[in-house]
Amino acid sequence: MQKKINLDISEVQPREQRLGTIIAWDGDIKELHRQSNFSGRAAGCGSGDGCRLCELQGPFSQGSVCSEQMVECQAGNVRDAVLIQHSPIGCGAGQVPYNSIYRNGLSMRGHKVENIRIINTNLTEEDMVFGASDKLRSAIDAAWLRYKPKAIFIATSCATGIIGEDIESIAREKQEELGVPVIPMACEGFRSKHWSTGFDATQHGILRQIVRKNPHKQEDLVNVINLWGSDVFTPMLANLNLKVNYVIDLASVDDLARMSEAAATVGFCYTLSSYLATALEQHFGVPEVKAPMPYGFSGTDAWLRELARVTHREELAEKYIASEHSRVRPRIKKLKEKLRGVKGYVATGSAYSHGLIQVLRELNVEVNGSLVFHHDPVYDSGDDREDSLGHLLKNYGNVENFHVSNRQQYQLYAFSQKVHPDFMLIRHNGLAPLASRLGIPAAPLGDEHIAIGYQGIINLGETILDILARKKFHNSIKTHVKLPYTDWWLKQKDAYILAR
Amino acid sequence: MAGKMIEQERYTCAIGALQSVVAIPKALPILHSGPGCGMMVRGFFERSTGYAGGSTSPCTNFSESEVVFGGIDKLRKIITNSYKILNSDLQVILTGCTAGIVGDDIDSLANEFREIGRPIVTVETAGFKNNNFVAHGDVVNAIIDQYTNKFIDENPVRSEKRTVNLFASIPYQDQFWKGNLRTYKHLLEQLGFKVHILFGPESAGVTEWQQIPRANFNVLVSPWYGQSIVEHLKNIYGQPFFKFPHIPIGANETEKFLYTLLSFAEENDTPLDYKKAKLFIKHESAAYYEELDNLATFLLEFRYGLPNYVHIIHDAGYVVGLAKFLLHETGIVPKEQFIVDNTPEKFQQDIRTDLKGISTKKNVPLLFEPDAGKVQNIIRDITYDGRGLLIGSGWDKELSKEKHFDFLSASVPSPYRLVLCTGYAGFHGGLRVMEDIFNTVLASYR
Repeated sequence: MQKKINLDISEVQPREQRLGTIIAWDGDIKELHRQSNFSGRAAGCGSGDGCRLCELQGPFSQGSVCSEQMVECQAGNVRDAVLIQHSPIGCGAGQVPYNSIYRNGLSMRGHKVENIRIINTNLTEEDMVFGASDKLRSAIDAAWLRYKPKAIFIATSCATGIIGEDIESIAREKQEELGVPVIPMACEGFRSKHWSTGFDATQHGILRQIVRKNPHKQEDLVNVINLWGSDVFTPMLANLNLKVNYVIDLASVDDLARMSEAAATVGFCYTLSSYLATALEQHFGVPEVKAPMPYGFSGTDAWLRELARVTHREELAEKYIASEHSRVRPRIKKLKEKLRGVKGYVATGSAYSHGLIQVLRELNVEVNGSLVFHHDPVYDSGDDREDSLGHLLKNYGNVENFHVSNRQQYQLYAFSQKVHPDFMLIRHNGLAPLASRLGIPAAPLGDEHIAIGYQGIINLGETILDILARKKFHNSIKTHVKLPYTDWWLKQKDAYILAR
Repeated sequence: MAGKMIEQERYTCAIGALQSVVAIPKALPILHSGPGCGMMVRGFFERSTGYAGGSTSPCTNFSESEVVFGGIDKLRKIITNSYKILNSDLQVILTGCTAGIVGDDIDSLANEFREIGRPIVTVETAGFKNNNFVAHGDVVNAIIDQYTNKFIDENPVRSEKRTVNLFASIPYQDQFWKGNLRTYKHLLEQLGFKVHILFGPESAGVTEWQQIPRANFNVLVSPWYGQSIVEHLKNIYGQPFFKFPHIPIGANETEKFLYTLLSFAEENDTPLDYKKAKLFIKHESAAYYEELDNLATFLLEFRYGLPNYVHIIHDAGYVVGLAKFLLHETGIVPKEQFIVDNTPEKFQQDIRTDLKGISTKKNVPLLFEPDAGKVQNIIRDITYDGRGLLIGSGWDKELSKEKHFDFLSASVPSPYRLVLCTGYAGFHGGLRVMEDIFNTVLASYR
């Protein structure tokens, strides 16, 4: 069994320390799964080579993303809270995309559309020398005055991390004064090699300071850990007489507080939900649904059955599964005919890619390559029913070209030359423009729920047909735009040549 | 200068001057910073990766070990390998907060590469040091000192009497930079100048940067940002500079800009055909007024209400330029105006005076306030009769709805408007502003 998540410490433990996360690796799924050793690692590995997962380290890197940005897009997207960025103003640049995500998410879920509420303390050189605790205090006061929020989150930055600002004690002082949770989150960009630690930092803060300690249990309430995607879970879970509590994005502070009242917690991506779901089970007794993620027939079947088992709704689930199968099968059959022989490539976050590949293979789309931004060899629960890579391997077979590459665009070029996909599924910005310059249509997958469940198989199939129609447009870009890469690099077959 | 907290920012920190490198054809920025900085900048300006910027810029992605032991070794490896992977004519290393606090000596490192003939420039752009308005000047001056100067023998100072270097819109921070720079270049070429525009598709890239010393004088179109550049060039090359303190939008100000520029050129012995130049201005002006006449017809015959006053939330160059244009050339009266570019105090009085010159009868209240959240609260409490117009950034869409204003997005961040190469400067720019404002109005027409 994994170690219990420690909520007594104020700063979250980075992912690489908890899970052994890596950000560069080259091989196939079979080998990565073997090296990851999910169950062995969960059991503690012992000594020797039992837990060795070799990470490639090269002498070149392009930019990535940082944990603070994940905090912006989680804590910053809580409806009646304010996020304070204790940082120079540059860290506030992220507010722009996260405001756009927030507003469109609010609209998709039927909430009132409003601007994101993030205040930046605008640290300057003087503050680096003398500290900026009074600036933080006055920003908290301004947040209170302007919005009367139900909670105030504070994000740290590289700058405050290095000068050693004591944010925790100010948060404590202000929490007492204002009577609402004031939550510091350690998310310095340099603190973790992978930005998904930012998810954990937000979740850690919420678990410590918002989640209700003595809950009245609601046997029909299910926490759904997601981002800002459209509302596919409410109608789905209604078939099991279950109500959805979406967290963290677009939730209210009260939605976050009542997570402890739920009968179960589910996610759509273990990269995102691992920490929060496990801690809710360990510290608040809310069972985490430990199952493959809800993608493709086998994943969705298993996910629904496990949710039904935990919430005692087995009969309803079987009825729903049967009716959905018969509803979607004919359409999927048609899509499969249309997509026969089409080759796809998936470039997304780690667990999410496992799910998308499953759906693509359900649709007859050939997938012989994928890149993920990082890889977690195990998740926080340590329960091997969550081994998403293993589930993919066992039910849908190997993926021969599987790369861990932390949004390194220069490597994507070499990957794509190896597998020559007809289209790419890309989540997160930065990679799609390259695909386009190579003449490969890409879908940005702004709504992360598009591929979930049975309907998701149809949605994704139709999206692919849609983007394949844009091939000509991408070809004209390919013809006229010059890549910045050298001829030497463009000829490389091995994207990791510099790391060998 | 101690900064105050800021909500809804409309500029970013010094490392945002990454975009000034992105805007130079085939220049490559290298970030010595945390892993998120490039992505942050990209997200703020949108569609701003260019040749190899944003998150595709080579970056040291600081981790704890670089914070503790310094990041010079990692940076050396990244620069070395960037030559293998990326084509570029010029490399510019920009530092983030991490490198700034740790105190890595990037200049000594750059010397190692300079010694083997690599064109490489370093600039300190730690986020806590400055904002991107100021850092734009630092980047340009660093390139002049560390790159342009190496070519001084082939480019004698002030050797081309008709050539000018032009510094105006900051790439990407001014979302109309491409269009504006193209307009300035075109207008000045029609007057007989040769123009080093330096940024964007109209620039000849690094060779143009090498030839900066040849120019007879410099042109600055800006109330304050970029002034450090022309002052620096005056110091090192003795090039005088002509300053026009706001963006010339529409005929009044564009004519003033061009005529005063011609006088300045004459005083500085620029051999131009002045008669021909003035004829060109007259011709452009006539074409402009033909359209203004059309606009007047539209304004006089439109029966369903038009905006009669405006608040602008923008940088100083746009606030003054747009306010003057709107009052004199569309009849929309500027009410409270807000400059959110963190204008240094020493420039504020001149900007106030410039705006005061708008009219002898009207006093336009002006506030310098980078905290746009506060600005919005002020606007919330102001009420006038009639239909209002708000010109600002995407942040202001919601406020406009609340106040029933017509809303024109004309500043970054710009999530509701796609700008490719539209410009607001010059005669045509003024006409474009009219189209944009009144199209918004017409969109509400039932």
